[in-house]
Amino acid sequence: MDLFLGVDVGSVTTKFVLMDREKRIVASCYLRTSGDPIAALKDGLRYIERHFPSGGLIKAVGTTGSARHLAGIVVGADIVKNEITAHAVAAITRVPEVRTVFEIGGQDSKLIIIRNGVVEDFAMNTVCAAGTGSFLEHQAIRLNVPIEKFGELALEAHQAVRIAGRCTVFAESDMIHKQQLGFGKAEIVKGLCEALVRNFINNLATGKAIEDPIVFQGGVAANQGIVQAFRDFFHGKKRIIVPPEHGVMGAWGAAILAMEYAPECSLFQGFAVVERHFVSRSFTCEDCPNSCEIVFLKENDEVKALWGSRCGKWSPSAVGKRIDEEPAGMKTVSQGEECEQSRCPVYD
Amino acid sequence: MRATFPHLLHLDVALGILYPTLGIEIVPPPPLTRKTIEIGVKLAPQNACFPLKVTLGNFVESIEKGADTLFMAGGVGPCRFGYYGQIQRLILEDLGYKVQFILLDHPRYGIRSFVQALRTMTGGKISPARIVRATALAWKVLRFTETIEAKRRALRCLVERKDALDRVVEGTLTRLRWVESVTALEEIIRSTEEALRALPLVREEGEVLKVGIVGEVYVAQEKRINFDVERLLGDLGVYVHNSVSTVEYILHTLPFTRSREKEETWRLARPYLQRFVGGEGIDSVGSAIRYAQWGFDGVVHLYPFTCMPEIVAKGILTQVSKDYDLPILHLAIDEHAGEAGLITRVEAFVDVLERRKKTRRKSEVGRAWTYS
Ligand code: SF4
Ligand code: SF4
Repeated sequence: MDLFLGVDVGSVTTKFVLMDREKRIVASCYLRTSGDPIAALKDGLRYIERHFPSGGLIKAVGTTGSARHLAGIVVGADIVKNEITAHAVAAITRVPEVRTVFEIGGQDSKLIIIRNGVVEDFAMNTVCAAGTGSFLEHQAIRLNVPIEKFGELALEAHQAVRIAGRCTVFAESDMIHKQQLGFGKAEIVKGLCEALVRNFINNLATGKAIEDPIVFQGGVAANQGIVQAFRDFFHGKKRIIVPPEHGVMGAWGAAILAMEYAPECSLFQGFAVVERHFVSRSFTCEDCPNSCEIVFLKENDEVKALWGSRCGKWSPSAVGKRIDEEPAGMKTVSQGEECEQSRCPVYD
Repeated sequence: MRATFPHLLHLDVALGILYPTLGIEIVPPPPLTRKTIEIGVKLAPQNACFPLKVTLGNFVESIEKGADTLFMAGGVGPCRFGYYGQIQRLILEDLGYKVQFILLDHPRYGIRSFVQALRTMTGGKISPARIVRATALAWKVLRFTETIEAKRRALRCLVERKDALDRVVEGTLTRLRWVESVTALEEIIRSTEEALRALPLVREEGEVLKVGIVGEVYVAQEKRINFDVERLLGDLGVYVHNSVSTVEYILHTLPFTRSREKEETWRLARPYLQRFVGGEGIDSVGSAIRYAQWGFDGVVHLYPFTCMPEIVAKGILTQVSKDYDLPILHLAIDEHAGEAGLITRVEAFVDVLERRKKTRRKSEVGRAWTYS
C-alpha cells in the first residue's frame, strides 16, 4: 500500500498525518511542541510507526508549519510548503465546494478565499494576538476556567457581555471590570468568544467577500463557543463546517501536496530517525550590527543546515568551524515562545 | 564640514562620488542594519512614518561617526514627507546633537537656487562647470546602479548559479564607488554587461512567472527594510520587475524631465484616481495596471504600515485587481513586521500564481478544443 506522510510543526503543536492514495487518513496525531521541535518530531514518528499498517510503504513526505525547513531535514521531506497552501489544499479535499477557510491557531490566524477549488485570496495575521488562540488562553487563565471547558461554558450563557477586545490588554482590563460589575463567568466567556470573532473578522476579512460554505479549522475550531460566535456573527445565514480532522488539516495538506508532487524516490529518512542524535542550536553573529541569530541543525558533529543569516555568509562548514572554536557561546534553541507546560492549552 | 545623507538603496554610491568632487568632505552613512532601525524607532514619535524612523537612525549613526552636516530632501504634497526634515531636526536638537541641517528643497522651487545651495556648500570655490560635470557623472552612476539591480531581479530566476550573479552585481557596485570619469564608468558598464551575458541560463523568460513591484519609494526599493522580497521571489523562480525608482522619482519632480513612462502611468491611473494623494499613491495604481497590460501574473504592493497615500492606493488596487483579474499581494512593512510571516505569505502568493497559470493553460487548451 502506498502511503504519504504529512508533518506540520507549529510553535505550539506538532501534527502528523499518514494518508493513503485515496487521501484517506490512516493515522494521525496531535502533540505539543513544547519548545523542542526535534523531540516532538521523534514522538510523532514513534506514534506513526506504531500505527503503521503492515505492507505499507511511504512514497512521499511533505512538511509545513513555522519549523517546516527543520522538520524537512530531520524527517527527510520531498516537499516543504507554507501553511497557507497546505491548509487550503486540505480544506478543498475535505469540502470540495468550500469558498472560505477560517484557520485559527495558537500564534496566528488565516483567512483563505477559495473559488472553483483554487485559492483566490488570503490574509494572515501574525502580529495581533487578539485574533488567535493565545488570546483565549490568557483570558482562560485569568478567569480560572480550564480552556477545554471554555466552549461548554460559553454555550451555557443566555446572553453575552460585550467585551472591548480590540487588543488583549484592553480586553483584559475590560473583562475584570465586567467581572466586578457582577456578570457571571459564562456570560463573560461568551463575550470573549464574540470578541475574538470580531477581531478575526476586523483584522482579516475587511474588503473580502465571505461566502459559504466556510470551513473552520485549526485548534481553536474545537471550541464550541467560538463556532457558535461565528454562527451568531453571520446570523446563522452562512454554512460553517468544522471537519472532524480540523486539528490536523495542515499536516493532511502537506501529505496531499507530497502525493501530488510524486517524487520518483522519496527522501524519507525512515523511522530509524528517532534513534539518531539531532540538536538545534544558535549563536549570534557579531560580524556586523545586524546581529543575526544563526540557527543550525547538527547531527552528531556534522552541521546539516542553518538559517537566519541576512548576508548569506554562513555555510554549514563555516558554522562547523565556529562551533569547534568557541563551544561556550552556544545556546540550545527553543522554537517560538517559551511557555510553561501547565499554562499552555493545546492550540495551534 | 563633514556631511552625510540617508541611505536609499545605492544612493550612497552616487552621492559618495558627487560630494567629494565638489570638495565636500563626507561621512558615508554606516550600513543600514537592524541596529539602525532600532535607533530610529526608539527616537522617533511612535506614529511617525517608518521611512522617517529608519533615516533618523541613519543620521544618528552617521553623527556618531563624526558627521556634522545632514542633507535631507524635502517633499511636497498632502503626505507627511514634507515634514521629515523638520521633525528629524527637532529630534536631533532635543538629543543635544549640534548639527547643521541642509534641506535640499524641491528643485521645482528653482533649479538655480538648488545649484546656488550646492555652491554655498562648496564655499563658492568650485566653478559652475565643475558642479555640472560632477552632477552629471553622479547621475549616470545612480542610473546604472538601478539598471544593474533591474538586471539582477530579472535574471535571478533564470541563471544557473545565483551566487555568481550576486558576485557580478556586488563587484560592480564596489567598483562604481571609485569611478572618477565618464570614460571609466562606461568601461565598467561594458565589462559588467559582458559578465552578465556570460552567465549560463537554465530557463527562459517565457516559461517563468512574472511579478511586478509597486509601492512607496523607500520601502519598495530598500531591500534592507523590506526583507529583500525581490530576492525571495527570485529564489522561488519568479521574474521580478520593480516600478519604483529613485531616478524616476527625481525626474518626476520637474515637469520637463518627466519620462513618458511616468506620464503613461499617471494616465492609466486616472480612471480610478484623479487627485494627487501624496507620495506614490497614483504611481502604485498606474503601475499595477501597466503590469496587467504587460501580461504579468501578479503584483506585490510594498508600503509602510501607516502610509496614507498607499492606504488610499491599496483600496483602489482591490478594484484594479478585480477589473484586470490581477492578483495583488499587499505587504505592510514596519518595525513589527515579522520575517517568517512575510515569507509564508510570499510563498503562498507564488503558489496561487502557479496554480492560476496552470489552470489557465488548461482552459486555453479547452477553448482550442471547442473551436476546432
Ligand atoms: S550573518 Fe551577515 S548580516 Fe548577519 S550579522 Fe553576520 S555578517 Fe551581519
Ligand atoms: S509617502 Fe507614506 S511613508 Fe512616505 S511620508 Fe508620505 S505617508 Fe509617510
